[in-house]
Amino acid sequence: MTAAVSVQQLKKTYPGDVEAVKGIDFEVAPGEVFGLLGPNGAGKSTTIGMLTTTVLPTSGTAALAGYDVVAQPLLARSVSSVVFQEAVVDKGLTGRANLQLHADLWGVGGYRAAERIKELAGLLGIDEIVDRPAGSYSGGQRRRLEIARALISNPLVLFLDEPTVGLDPRIRHELLDVIARLRRREDMTIVLTTHYLEEAQRLCDRVAIVHCGEIVALDTPAALLARLGDQLLELRVAGDVSVALAALGAHGVAAGDAYVVGSTVTVPLHDASIVDALAAIDHAGLTASDISTRQPTLDDVYLRLTGVEGAAAA
Amino acid sequence: MATTIAEPAAIPRQHSSPRTGIGRALRTLASRRLALTAHNPRQIAVPMVTPILFALVLAPALKDALGGLHSKIDYTAFVAVGTVGLLVPLATTFAGLSVIVDRDSGAQRELLAAPVPRGLLVAGNLLVVLGLCALQVVVVIAAAALRGADFHVRGAGVVWFVLAVVLFVVLMYGIAETLAARIHQQEEYIGATPVIAILPWFFAGALFPISALPGALTAFAKVLPLTHAMALMRYGLVDPRGTGLHDIWGMSNTTAEAWLSLAVVALFAAAFAIVAVRTFTRAAVR
Repeated sequence: MTAAVSVQQLKKTYPGDVEAVKGIDFEVAPGEVFGLLGPNGAGKSTTIGMLTTTVLPTSGTAALAGYDVVAQPLLARSVSSVVFQEAVVDKGLTGRANLQLHADLWGVGGYRAAERIKELAGLLGIDEIVDRPAGSYSGGQRRRLEIARALISNPLVLFLDEPTVGLDPRIRHELLDVIARLRRREDMTIVLTTHYLEEAQRLCDRVAIVHCGEIVALDTPAALLARLGDQLLELRVAGDVSVALAALGAHGVAAGDAYVVGSTVTVPLHDASIVDALAAIDHAGLTASDISTRQPTLDDVYLRLTGVEGAAAA
Repeated sequence: MATTIAEPAAIPRQHSSPRTGIGRALRTLASRRLALTAHNPRQIAVPMVTPILFALVLAPALKDALGGLHSKIDYTAFVAVGTVGLLVPLATTFAGLSVIVDRDSGAQRELLAAPVPRGLLVAGNLLVVLGLCALQVVVVIAAAALRGADFHVRGAGVVWFVLAVVLFVVLMYGIAETLAARIHQQEEYIGATPVIAILPWFFAGALFPISALPGALTAFAKVLPLTHAMALMRYGLVDPRGTGLHDIWGMSNTTAEAWLSLAVVALFAAAFAIVAVRTFTRAAVR
C-alpha cells in the first residue's frame, strides 16, 4: 500500500547555511495520525512547508499519496489540505465565502460544495456565524472555520500546524475532540505539529520528536514512554546540579537517560527501587530540598531528548 | 455563548477531479479579488481623484489662461487622455499593495497551498485590475466630456484606445506585482509608488507634447512605454492625425506609427507580465 506521506533524506538549508532540516526520514500510513513534536526552531514548520510545497527541499524526496512534492506539486496539493499555525482567512469575506473559495480551488463541485459547507459548518459549530465576515470571528471561531475549510475537499492528508495555539482551554479541548474523531474517517491521514505534549499523547498513533532539524525519536507514545520505565525520581538539589547528577551516576542511580531542568534532576528508576535510590542519594551526600516519585509522561521523553543535560554527558 | 462542536461523521471520499481546471481556478481567484476590492471602495475611488482634478480643473483653467495647444487639438481632451497615464499607474500600484496585504495577513498561504498553478494568482488579480481600470478610465473620460472636452470618437479609434489602455494596464500591473513580490514592507512599497507611478508621467507628454521638451528629454520620453501608450490613446480618441505618434517616430504613415507604438507597449507588457509571474512564483517558495 502506498504511504500517505513518505519522506526520505529530506533536507532544507536556508541561505546563510542555516540547516533547518538535516535529512529526515519517516513514513505515515493511510489513516494514521502522526505527530511532529519539538521546540521552536526544531524544523517542524519547515518540514510541513516542504510537504505543502511552499518550501523547496535542498535535497531528498517527499511524496503525498505517491505524488512527489517537487516533481508533481499540483497533484500533491490536490490530495492535501493544511491548517496553518497563523490565522489564514480572508477577513473581508464571510465564513461561507472562505469555505466556498477552498471548494472552488480544490475542484469540489457546486452542489457537493454547498452540501459540504452546510455539513461542516454544523459539525464545527459555526453554522450560525458562517454568513458573517470572518474578520468578526473570535480566535476559536476562526480556527474552527479554518479546520472546516481544510476538510471541504475531503483531503487524503490533512496537515495541522500547531492547531490549538492561542485558543482558550475549552475550545482547545473541543477541537482536540474533533481531531480525535476525524480518525474515524479511515482514509484520512493527519500530520500534526504541536508543542503541547498531551495533544500528541492523546491524538497521535506515532510521534516523531524533532530537535535541531533531526528526528531524535520516532515511535508510538506508549513505546516512547516505556523507554523511561515505570517510575521517575525527581529531586531538587542545592548547589551545582551537574555535580549532583554526576554523583548520582557514580553511585549507580542515574543512567544516561537522567536529565536536568533548572535545579531539578529527573532520574528514571527502571529496575532500581526507591529505597535503593534514596540510599544512594544519602551516600552521595546530596542535599535535596524536595524528593518525589511519579510516572513518566511524554514531557519527560521530550525534555530528555531536546537539549537538556544527561548523566552520561555530565 | 457556548458553542458545541459536533462529531464528524465518516464521509465517503469523492475525488471527482484531482486538479482544478485552469478556467475555473482563474474565475475563482478573480472573484475573490473582486469581492475583496468591492469591500474597499477607497481602492476604486482614490486613484481617480487626482486625474479627475487634472481633467476637470487644471486642464480647462490652463486652456483659458494660456490658450491651449495652439492647434486643432482640444486641450481639455488632450489632458483628459493624459490623466489616464496617471490613473492607470496609480490604480495598479494600489492593486499591488493588495498582494502585500494578502501576504502579511497570511491569506496568500491558503492560495499557495491550492492545487492551481501559482501564476494564476497573478492572472486573477490582473483580470480584476483590468476591469477596475476600465471603469475608472470610463469615469474620467466621461467626466471630461461633460466638462466640455472635445473627443473624436470613431470605431477604429476606440479600438486603438482600448488596446493601448489594456496593454498599459498589463504593463503597469506587471511592474506593481513584481515590486510587491520583492518588497517586504508596505511602507517601502508605498515609498516606491511615486517613482514608479508618477515620475514617468512628467516626461511622457501628459500635459504638453513631448516636442516641447528639451532635446535630451524628448529622446528620453521616446523610450518610455507610457509616451507610446498615451500617443496611441490620443490617436484613438483625440487626434486622428496622430501628432503624438509623429513626435515619436517622425514618419509620414500614421497607421504604421501606431502599430509600432502598439508593438512597443505590447513588448513591455509581455515582458513585465512574464517577470511578474516568475517573480511571484519564486518568491512564493522559500
